[in-house]
Amino acid sequence: MPPESEYSLQDLSDLAGVTPRTIRYYIAQGLLPSPGKAGPGATYADGHLNRLRLIKRLQREHLPLAEIRTRLAALDDGAVAALVEVPASEPPADSAIDYIRAVLGGDSSPDGMLWDRAPDMTSRRSPIGPPASPPPSTNAVDLRAPAYRLAEPSPAHAEPPTPTPTPAPDRSQWDRILLAPDVELHVRRPLGRRAHKRVERLIQIARELLEEDQP
Amino acid sequence: MTFNVRPDRRFIRPTYRSNRFVLVEVTAPPARSERVRPPVNLAFILDRSGSMSGDKIRLAKQAIEEAIARLHDDDRFAIVTYDDQIDVVVPGTRASPEARRTALDRLREIDARGSTNLGEGWLRGAQQVAEALADEGVNRCLLLTDGLANVGITDRDELARHAGELRARGVSTSTFGVGEDFDEVLLQSMASAGGGHFYFIATAASIRDHITSEVGETLEIVARGVTLEIGAAEGIRVESLSPYPIHEGRGQTEVTLGDLTSDERVEVVLRLNFPYGELGRSTGAAFSLSDRDGVVRGEAKLGWAYADNGANDHQERDRVVDRAVARIFAARARQEAVGLNRHGDFNGARHVIEATARRIRGYAGRDPELRAILGELEGELQMFAAPMMEMDRKHAYASSSYLMNSRMADGKAMKDPNRGGR
Repeated sequence: MPPESEYSLQDLSDLAGVTPRTIRYYIAQGLLPSPGKAGPGATYADGHLNRLRLIKRLQREHLPLAEIRTRLAALDDGAVAALVEVPASEPPADSAIDYIRAVLGGDSSPDGMLWDRAPDMTSRRSPIGPPASPPPSTNAVDLRAPAYRLAEPSPAHAEPPTPTPTPAPDRSQWDRILLAPDVELHVRRPLGRRAHKRVERLIQIARELLEEDQP
Repeated sequence: MTFNVRPDRRFIRPTYRSNRFVLVEVTAPPARSERVRPPVNLAFILDRSGSMSGDKIRLAKQAIEEAIARLHDDDRFAIVTYDDQIDVVVPGTRASPEARRTALDRLREIDARGSTNLGEGWLRGAQQVAEALADEGVNRCLLLTDGLANVGITDRDELARHAGELRARGVSTSTFGVGEDFDEVLLQSMASAGGGHFYFIATAASIRDHITSEVGETLEIVARGVTLEIGAAEGIRVESLSPYPIHEGRGQTEVTLGDLTSDERVEVVLRLNFPYGELGRSTGAAFSLSDRDGVVRGEAKLGWAYADNGANDHQERDRVVDRAVARIFAARARQEAVGLNRHGDFNGARHVIEATARRIRGYAGRDPELRAILGELEGELQMFAAPMMEMDRKHAYASSSYLMNSRMADGKAMKDPNRGGR
């Protein structure tokens, strides 16, 4: 049996491309198991490295940290390793034009000349309210699905097209973030960079607050 | 063309996960005569938001005019402008004399207004390119902006991911950030993922030079979709410190270098992390370089041996590799320090620079170049550890980005020093 690899905090940080400070934060947040030994001589294993890599990947896919924690909790080391192992790149199945159409929400002007439409600000600036329909099962993401599916329009836009000029599709989607067993936060994503940071902080603070009473 | 692969050291430790570095040097062949170059298919995507008014938009328009004048009849181009709306000013068209004339007329009517839907403007430009994808040619978007994406798709990671997906489908993206109000991390990651180049343009006066240079490089591309494949023995982890897109599979790692222009010189720094092994045993990795059209080709193999600590401690080092590694780590630290500095974490910025300097000092010895890299980094410590002007942050970020991507100090391609250049 090959010996189990052991890494120092610095090694782990180098290999995963995550700062030591972030690693400590993840451990405190329960996203990563504690190291084998505590203190400066602490050692980490491949399980830690794979988990860090998966966290990075899920973050790239805009999953809130809380959601990442829930998912990681359900996976053992073997399952994490299998998810991290990406097959060598294969040529994409669809063409560039199909991809762009999918991202733009399918509204392509046939000739593209002086393409002009009402800016889609209104839909994004509408006051934040509860989602019109129940959000799709907490943003279930298939790790192997083409990346752009993440930005699929919400079900409301799957309606048949109307003959009148349709407003620009709303590419945002509602994410449901569980803060505590009985408390949820609804966030419409994508958010701007600043708003994203604030929401992340809000989640962190809210969770600390809600966890205070728990044993 | 040349293809060299050199390791920093040859021995590894049996009971420790050793890191060893490999420097891969690639030089593209010179371009054939201008007449037989493959066609290009370009979209110029121009930010026309209010802040672009005056010199910036005037000079950008001039640069696009000049670029169009250099195209051949069988090339294609499109012009898209965006603020909160997107205008396809010239839909993708063959560069016939008529189309060029019409384009110039329309270009003159563009002026600045509104806020910025960068994401959709860029995607509309990409759409113009994608609608008539030149299989045998180079398909590229050139996105010029002086601001942030604040309408439509605004998320950095999402835009970078789209850029990567489009690159995989044959459309690359280069980005130009003008002034001090754009998001350099966004533009750099779009260009890195998008297989193009990122340029920082400090003053409007150099907009033309940068656009002209990028178009020139595009017209002289000699190798498309260049890929470095590394097949390493079991248990060895391979990663690229140079910011190229990377795909990992079982035992196989693929680094995408993208399109190379005439005589372009590119360096890739790889880090290999070795598993424990039996004293005296050897292990190794194979490196191969290829491109879509079979223009560049190269194979190399490297071996490492598990040796005792004495042999490891006193082994010879390839200083050329050490220097490349040190430069990349210094550049990464600078970029991280810029981000921390912007968020007011001056102590954090200091720590990042100090930690990197300490590591470089650990192997610098008396090597004058390594000492110089170290000295420069230490000299900048005070700058990063106090509030910086935004323009200085942009300069520090961009010069680090150029270095990591094998670009010259002005962002242009590094050329083979053994040739006279153009």
